[in-house]
Amino acid sequence: MKSIKAMKRRMVGLSLLLLALFSAPAWAATPLDTVKSDVNQVLEVLRNKSLKEEAKKEKLRAIYKEMFNQVELSKWSLGGNWGKLSEAQQQEFVPLFQQVLEKAYADKLLAYTNEKVLFDREIKITDTRVEVKTRIVTASKEIPINYRVLQGGGTWKVYDVVIENVSLVQNYRSQFGDILSKNTPEQLLETLRKKVKDQKS
Amino acid sequence: MKPFPFVVVLWALVAVGCAHGPQSAAPSAHFDQPAQAMTIVPASYTVKETAPSPQVAQNNATTPGAAAPGVLPTEPREDTDFMAETPSAETATIADPLEPYNRAMFIFNDRMYFWLLKPVAQGYKAVIPEPARVSVNNFFYNLRYPVRAVSCLFQLDFPCFAIVSARFVINTTLGIAGLFDPASSDPNLQKHDVDLGQTLGKYGVGQGFYLIWPVIGPSSPRDTVGLVGDFFLYPVSYLDPWYVWLAVRGYQEINATSLVIGDYEAFKEAAIDPYVSMRNAWAQYRQKRVEERRGAEQPEAPPGVPRY
Repeated sequence: MKSIKAMKRRMVGLSLLLLALFSAPAWAATPLDTVKSDVNQVLEVLRNKSLKEEAKKEKLRAIYKEMFNQVELSKWSLGGNWGKLSEAQQQEFVPLFQQVLEKAYADKLLAYTNEKVLFDREIKITDTRVEVKTRIVTASKEIPINYRVLQGGGTWKVYDVVIENVSLVQNYRSQFGDILSKNTPEQLLETLRKKVKDQKS
Repeated sequence: MKPFPFVVVLWALVAVGCAHGPQSAAPSAHFDQPAQAMTIVPASYTVKETAPSPQVAQNNATTPGAAAPGVLPTEPREDTDFMAETPSAETATIADPLEPYNRAMFIFNDRMYFWLLKPVAQGYKAVIPEPARVSVNNFFYNLRYPVRAVSCLFQLDFPCFAIVSARFVINTTLGIAGLFDPASSDPNLQKHDVDLGQTLGKYGVGQGFYLIWPVIGPSSPRDTVGLVGDFFLYPVSYLDPWYVWLAVRGYQEINATSLVIGDYEAFKEAAIDPYVSMRNAWAQYRQKRVEERRGAEQPEAPPGVPRY
C-alpha cells in the first residue's frame, strides 16, 4: 500500500515536472492572455466592495503601470512631433500626459462595476504589435474596446486603446499636432501642466 | 464611450439640413488648401496625409498600396513605427475650411447639452428606472428598421438585409413592439449599424469637409445627404402635426441622453482641445463605419485563434 502511495506521489511529481517543461513556452503569454489578465485585475479591483475609492485608485494605478507602456503611449500620441521635444521635455511629457489620462478616466472607470467584458480575439498588426479585441457589455449596449499591445521586455504592453473605433493615440495626435502647428513644445507642456492643475481642483 | 451625443438629434433642424443638403460631395479645389493646412502632423511627417484631397485620403483606406511607404522616396523612413501611421492607413482626417463657424457651433451645441438636454435628461433619469429607459431606446431603434433595410439593399449586402429584417420581425413580435431585444441573444443576429451616409461612403463618396449642425452635431456634406435620407426613412418623421413629431423626437433624445450622461463630460475632460478631439473622433468613427462595410464583410477569427 505504501509503495503505491509513494509511486502515486512520484507520478504526480513527474507529471508536474513534465507539465512545467512542456508549458515553458507559456512564459511568453499571448497578447490576448496578457490583456485578459490585466483587465481581469482591473475588474477585480472595481468589484471589490471593501475597498475605499482612494485605495481602488491606488491599486488601479499600479495595474495601469504594468499594463501600459507609458513612453510608447506618449510617442504614439505625438507621432512625428515626438522628436521635436527635447529629451528633458519628453521626460516631463510622459508623466504629465499620464496624469491627464488618469484624471479623465479614473472616475469613469470607477463607475463601471457590473459590466461584463468579453475577450474576442487578437489581430496581428506587425510582428511586434497586436490588437486585442474586447467588448464591454452594459445594460443598454455593447462597447467595443480594442487594446493595441507592443512586445517588449518579454511581455505585451498597451500603447493604444481603441474605443468604439476611435483610437486614443490618433485622437491625441490630432490635438497635439494642432497645438504644435501653432505653438512651441514648451507651450504644449504648459497647456498640459495647466490642464492637470485644473483637473485637480 | 459615445463621443458625440449630439449626432443624432434631428429636431427642427432637418429643414435647414434639406436647404443646405445635397452639395457636391467631391471637395473642390477650393477646399484643398485648408485640407492641407489642418492636417494634424507637421509637414515633415505628412507624407501620407497631404494627399491631394480628403477624398483621396479616404480612398487610401482601401488601397493600401497607394499609401505604401515604398512609393515615398523623399522621406527617410524612421525605424520607429510610432512616427508612421498605422498600416491600414486608417488615419482619419477631415478638411475643416469652416473652422471658425464650426467652433462657434461646437460651443452652441455644448451649451445646448449642459443647459438644456442634460438637466432635462437628468430629471427624467431620476424618475424612470434604467430597464424602462433601455426598452424605450430599443423601441426607437427598432423603428429605424427601414433606414437599415434600405441601406443594406443599397449596399447590395443581402445577408445584412436578411439579418436586420429577421431582427425586426423577432423584436417586433417576441420583443413586444421592439421594447425588448431577444434577437441579440442569437450570435448570428447581431446588430448591424448601417446608414445612408455610410452607404455613400462605401461607394467612394468622400466626406467633403467638416460641418457641425446646430443640435444635430458633427457632420459633413456627405453625411448630411445621408441624414436627410435617413429622416425620410424614419417613420417618426411622418408624425402629424409637426409638434407631435417634435415632442416624440425630443423625448427620444432625452431618453437616449439619459443613458449616456457622463460620457460627453468624460470626453471633454480627457481632451486638450475638445473641438479638435471631437472632430478627429467623429472622422475616425465615420471612416471606420465605412471601412467596415467596404473591406472583408465579416472578418472571422483566423483558424487557430480561439474565440472567447
